Amino acid sequence: MSALKKVLKARELSSFLFLVALFIIVSIINPTFASSENISACFNSAVVYILIAIGMAFAIIVGEIDVSVGSILGIVATVVGSMLRDGSNWVVAFAVGILIGAVIGLFNGWGVAVMGVPSLIFTLGTNGILRGSMYVYAGGAWVENLPKSFKDFSSKTLVGDLTVYFCACVVVVAIIHVLLTRTRRGRYFTAVGDNAGGATLVGISATKTKVLAYVICGIMSAIAGILFCSRIGFVTSLSGNGYEMKAVAACVLGGISLSGGVGSVIGAAIGAVIMSSISYLLVFMGFSSNYDNAITGIILIAIVVIDALMQNRSAVRSRHERLMARTANAMEGGDSQ
Amino acid sequence: MENMTASSGVEKLLSVRNVYKSFGLNAVLKGISLDLAPGEVLALIGGNGAGKSTLMKIIMGIYSHDSGEIFVDGKEMTVGKPAEALAHGVYMVPQEPLLFPNMTVEENILIGFDRPRAELRRELVERMDNLGWHIALERKASSLSIAEQQLVEILRGLLRHAKVLILDEPTSALTFKEVESLFKCVEDLKSQGIGIIYITHRLNEVFEIATTVAIMRDGVITLDGPVSDFTRDDLVCGLLPTDSCQRKTQVVSKVDYSKPPVFELRNFSGYGFTDISLKVYPGEILGLAGVVGAGRTEMAMTIFGRDKVLGGNVILDGKDITGLKTADVIKAGLNYVPEDRHADGLFKISDVACNTTSALLSNPKMGRFFLNRKEEKKVTQQYVDDFRIKVTGQDQLTGSLSGGNQQKIVIGRSLSTAPKLVILDEPTRGIDAAARGDVYSIIHQLRDQGVSILLISSDMEEIVELSDRAMSIYLGRVNCEFAKEDVNQDNLTSAAFGLIRKEEEKA
Amino acid sequence: MKKLDSHSHSKVGSLLKNWNTFLVVILILEFVIFGAANPKFLRIPLLLSSVNDFIAICLISLFVTFVMITGGIDIQAGSIVGLTSIIIGVAWQDFGFNIWGAVVLAIVAAALCGALSGFFIAYCRVQAMVVTLGGSFLYAGLALLVSTLSSTESYQGISGFPDSFKALTKFKLFDVIPSQLLIFAAMTFIAYLLLHKSKYGRKVFLVGVNPQAAEFSGINSRLIILSTYVLSAISAAIAGIVLTSYLGTAKSDLGSTLTMNIITACVLGGTLSTGGKGSAIGTALASLIIGLLRFGLPLCFKINTQYLDIPIGVLLVVVVVGRAVFNMPGTAVFMAKLKGKFQPKAKAAQ
Repeated sequence: MSALKKVLKARELSSFLFLVALFIIVSIINPTFASSENISACFNSAVVYILIAIGMAFAIIVGEIDVSVGSILGIVATVVGSMLRDGSNWVVAFAVGILIGAVIGLFNGWGVAVMGVPSLIFTLGTNGILRGSMYVYAGGAWVENLPKSFKDFSSKTLVGDLTVYFCACVVVVAIIHVLLTRTRRGRYFTAVGDNAGGATLVGISATKTKVLAYVICGIMSAIAGILFCSRIGFVTSLSGNGYEMKAVAACVLGGISLSGGVGSVIGAAIGAVIMSSISYLLVFMGFSSNYDNAITGIILIAIVVIDALMQNRSAVRSRHERLMARTANAMEGGDSQ
Repeated sequence: MENMTASSGVEKLLSVRNVYKSFGLNAVLKGISLDLAPGEVLALIGGNGAGKSTLMKIIMGIYSHDSGEIFVDGKEMTVGKPAEALAHGVYMVPQEPLLFPNMTVEENILIGFDRPRAELRRELVERMDNLGWHIALERKASSLSIAEQQLVEILRGLLRHAKVLILDEPTSALTFKEVESLFKCVEDLKSQGIGIIYITHRLNEVFEIATTVAIMRDGVITLDGPVSDFTRDDLVCGLLPTDSCQRKTQVVSKVDYSKPPVFELRNFSGYGFTDISLKVYPGEILGLAGVVGAGRTEMAMTIFGRDKVLGGNVILDGKDITGLKTADVIKAGLNYVPEDRHADGLFKISDVACNTTSALLSNPKMGRFFLNRKEEKKVTQQYVDDFRIKVTGQDQLTGSLSGGNQQKIVIGRSLSTAPKLVILDEPTRGIDAAARGDVYSIIHQLRDQGVSILLISSDMEEIVELSDRAMSIYLGRVNCEFAKEDVNQDNLTSAAFGLIRKEEEKA
Repeated sequence: MKKLDSHSHSKVGSLLKNWNTFLVVILILEFVIFGAANPKFLRIPLLLSSVNDFIAICLISLFVTFVMITGGIDIQAGSIVGLTSIIIGVAWQDFGFNIWGAVVLAIVAAALCGALSGFFIAYCRVQAMVVTLGGSFLYAGLALLVSTLSSTESYQGISGFPDSFKALTKFKLFDVIPSQLLIFAAMTFIAYLLLHKSKYGRKVFLVGVNPQAAEFSGINSRLIILSTYVLSAISAAIAGIVLTSYLGTAKSDLGSTLTMNIITACVLGGTLSTGGKGSAIGTALASLIIGLLRFGLPLCFKINTQYLDIPIGVLLVVVVVGRAVFNMPGTAVFMAKLKGKFQPKAKAAQ
């Protein structure tokens, strides 16, 4: 349709192609990988990352960041997990979990958008508080013995080898994408990240939009925490550590610009699948899991550096083109008068 | 409140009553009152820093005022709420377009509306057809020229059915054709009963399209009334400080043109300017007149090592300094006072001493490894005294100084490296009249000390007052050169706007 | 004239001085409260040896302050501590390096890591936060990979270092003051000279306040920015050496939990997170406050060390929010004006 959407689609498409290429390369190196089971496993194991990356995408699109997503996931998993373990009603437990995520998001949004504290520093503080709170809440112990039905639900498949969770994730991503791109208010997020001053001028409140983005980010991380409980089956005091980093990487991989204003949740979701598949794929390629961190770090840095270089170059080029056009006009303008 | 509404007249679209505003210690608006009726085009003129933009941002609710009232259609506006101003039909097209660079033209215009999109789109297309403006709706805003961005902004305002449209220096980046179509549009809107505040610093525009005029200087309105009541000279007088009106300085040029030039550009080309050749002689002030976007700042920046050279040479005192790094250009004896003081000149949260000596840091005079505080103090004090910079001490932060004092510090810094040539780019932009006088006398002093000066300005009066010789730059090329006796506002203005060209060349 | 000068101390300047006084007061309060709660806290040998638990925070935050003054941030320093440690261990045990040769090798490696991140940040203009976030994973990952080169299992750590290396942290001045404290004092002094007395430090500040204007003053902003990341990486390497020497074991995951403490120390020390302001003394004091908190809370109030992230996180949030509130009336308007003026321009230029 419009040129912008084409570009956006292209960004997502290229991440998607990257994922496909990754699968193909691994299949060539190790043909045993090329099975529906393995590929589905890559998707199924990505659900937690997808949700957390969507949340992060909101924060990044409005031009901020949230490094507390991992610990939101952790604390929600701890709370919901222990409630379920103690026989609480599922609905109540989930509601409490989501509420916790929303409240933390609100707190982050307040600090960043209302008080104007740089987002990294503020959410780093939140992160520390939440990490500590996890220890306090669980007394440093693991949360185990979750209801079997809750754990088993995570392996229930819906389409082929794809789990219910993954299918639900796809639906959620689709809905959010439509809301973001097709509704009036949905566009506010990109607008604020694109040019906060301009947004103010057309009557969009940058503060409210940012707070809302953080609340959504908190809620998505909370849901991710609940799914984490269900999939992994236990929660330790370190659960969710480092997820913020993978979420940022997923967003960047999915074509979301770190300076805000550009990107889509579909991209974030694809990026999340790539990020979560890496360790799985490494095993098939014969690397030990020791390579995980180093390769994750390399991928993240490589992507942001390439992205920045391309952006810088195109910015310089378009500026130069504009300036050249001006002087080229001189002849024309002179003649026409 | 009710009384106020009644007394300010029901037919007024916009009434501003006694608005005060200061930023920190800096009083920007000192009791502004103005009215706007339907179908009125109010030209608001005044130098940079007079407070025009601040006033408009207050009307838009982007800034909140300290005291005073603003009524739109008889209803008082809450302080600092852009959404409310928008809802009441006030729309501002800012000087620097504030578009969303990553969105399309269509999205940029249609964002923030409550109405259905298809209807809006239809209206937009209709409007564009009526105006004869054609911008592809699916283009990304980042690919638009400044002029196109401005048109998009205006369309935005029109689609909002704005009753009060504020145009903040809309023509500064437009070509003649675009200006023409903009004026047509303004006429159109006028007849539809829309009130327009038209901010400009071009006097001919005032007579062309405005119905009323108001002049702002140093945060107060010094003169206002129907345009027909005033002549051009009246307006010029209103712009100048009361005592300096009618003052004419006619100094005969004392430059010795038999000496070799201290600075020379030979067919110098870069991004935004082409094939520029000029010479500056020892102790000479060469004025370079040109409107914003003519390529003058780009040229200065490229000389100063901030952008790529595409061709030609820069010769300083016989040495080729083409394409050197900034630090080496400074070392070679050239310094530059940037056009955008805030972005490129000042360290706002640093003190006066830090700012004044920042270009000297690579000089061993300031110490080898450790900073020589004594020297720093001495240099700073010298400029504070010489330039009469009003500071409470060397450790005052420059962000809290007035524009004029800030500019003096930036000029002081560029002189601290003992340059043979200084390029001054819009040296009096955004500073008050008194400080302007000070800056002029600094420039004269420098010339008397034998420093050569390349003075870039869009303020023709400034060039007339200061220059020994002047050239004009238009669309990236030097198109005219004037000797001292020919340097006058008319010549410069018509040259800078491309109205006259070197006839010899064409013939 | 003199009088006028002394009165006219700029707001922020005097604030910074007051801030340091404030930090000293807090430090004293810590002694009083912890001392009252548990007199053991005041036993000099115990107190002085507690420095081992937080020396890394102190050393690194001093130089992360440099990074933050330029407007950047460094969250990779913690992982460089582990990398340094394991390089020393592996180079010494498995590659037959002299222990001091291994130390030099580790410092060089750390400096290269810092330079690499700094290069991406300064020359490719990638956000410092993302690069150092990636760097924290990359260098921690590298540390893990280096540890696999060793014959020793990585979770055990490499030990059995020569006495001369261990003596680095065994030495006590007058038999009481541990050498770690001396190293901290020396590093603080170096940071102070570099930041506040040298031309280099002045450039760091100017680049942080306005990198554009710094370029127009002939300062090579990019090189200055890059150099600060090298400095912070070297400080992390020194922290890694000190820890390895003290613990007698080289491990790849040393320092992995330091990030928030380091950033808190910088921010609490008066460093402006948007760049342009900060002080070496302030950071040193703040890191001591945090260190004593980490030492005192478990000792005097029986708070589990695992919970310590909470008070530190609260401290960070309270300081940044408090500062934001403090700045609201005057500076906020001013900053809004600045933002209004420049942000759109920057965007338009893209």
